[in-house]
Amino acid sequence: MLCSVGSRCGAGQGALLQSRQSGASAFVSKRFFAAAAGGNTLKQEDVLKRVGDVIKSFSKTGTSASNADTPAAEVTEATSFQKDLGLDSLDTVELLVAIEEEFEIEIPDKVADELKTVGETVKHILSNPEAN
Amino acid sequence: MAATVPARAQVLSVYRQFIKNANQFTNYNFREYFLRRTRNTFKQNKTVEDPARLAALFGEARAELKVLKRQSVISQMYTFDKTVVEPLNKRSHG
Repeated sequence: MLCSVGSRCGAGQGALLQSRQSGASAFVSKRFFAAAAGGNTLKQEDVLKRVGDVIKSFSKTGTSASNADTPAAEVTEATSFQKDLGLDSLDTVELLVAIEEEFEIEIPDKVADELKTVGETVKHILSNPEAN
Repeated sequence: MAATVPARAQVLSVYRQFIKNANQFTNYNFREYFLRRTRNTFKQNKTVEDPARLAALFGEARAELKVLKRQSVISQMYTFDKTVVEPLNKRSHG
């Protein structure tokens, strides 16, 4: 009993230390990134690939997008959220929130309502200096 | 305020806020519950056409959004150990 309490405590401290370290390194790299670039240096292919990854992990979450079997490899600029991915307006909102989190940006409501395809979304992310 | 019929954009805006705030919960179980509840409620009512019913549902959603906002902030004041189903690295996508 005593041992299990002790070992659990030790594991907890280890995790805490680890999370502190990873937090610190993320902070440093972010500072470095911002200082070096002074804006976002994202490449279009990378953005497209990451959006594709978000879509891929999103369609696995079991929303109504069950017919969204489009793998990330097939996600292109022309891919439409509603027509090709089979998302309804609610799913689109949710996907955009997931994309916002991935790139750590905020897409205003008015812009978000206009985004209908992957290409438009990628273009918006590239135009946002805060995206990373 | 609850008597007006909400526009499509307004409903989507409220849904977006629901999802964003639910995502803020640090506790996995609360977070997933609120995401699930939000999705289910909005999907369930997506075919509602009756103006009075729409207005009532919209008013209800706004009241619940206030509670959700408050609770997600409170949730962030406490730390929770991650459960085994959560990825350690946010970018790893599970």
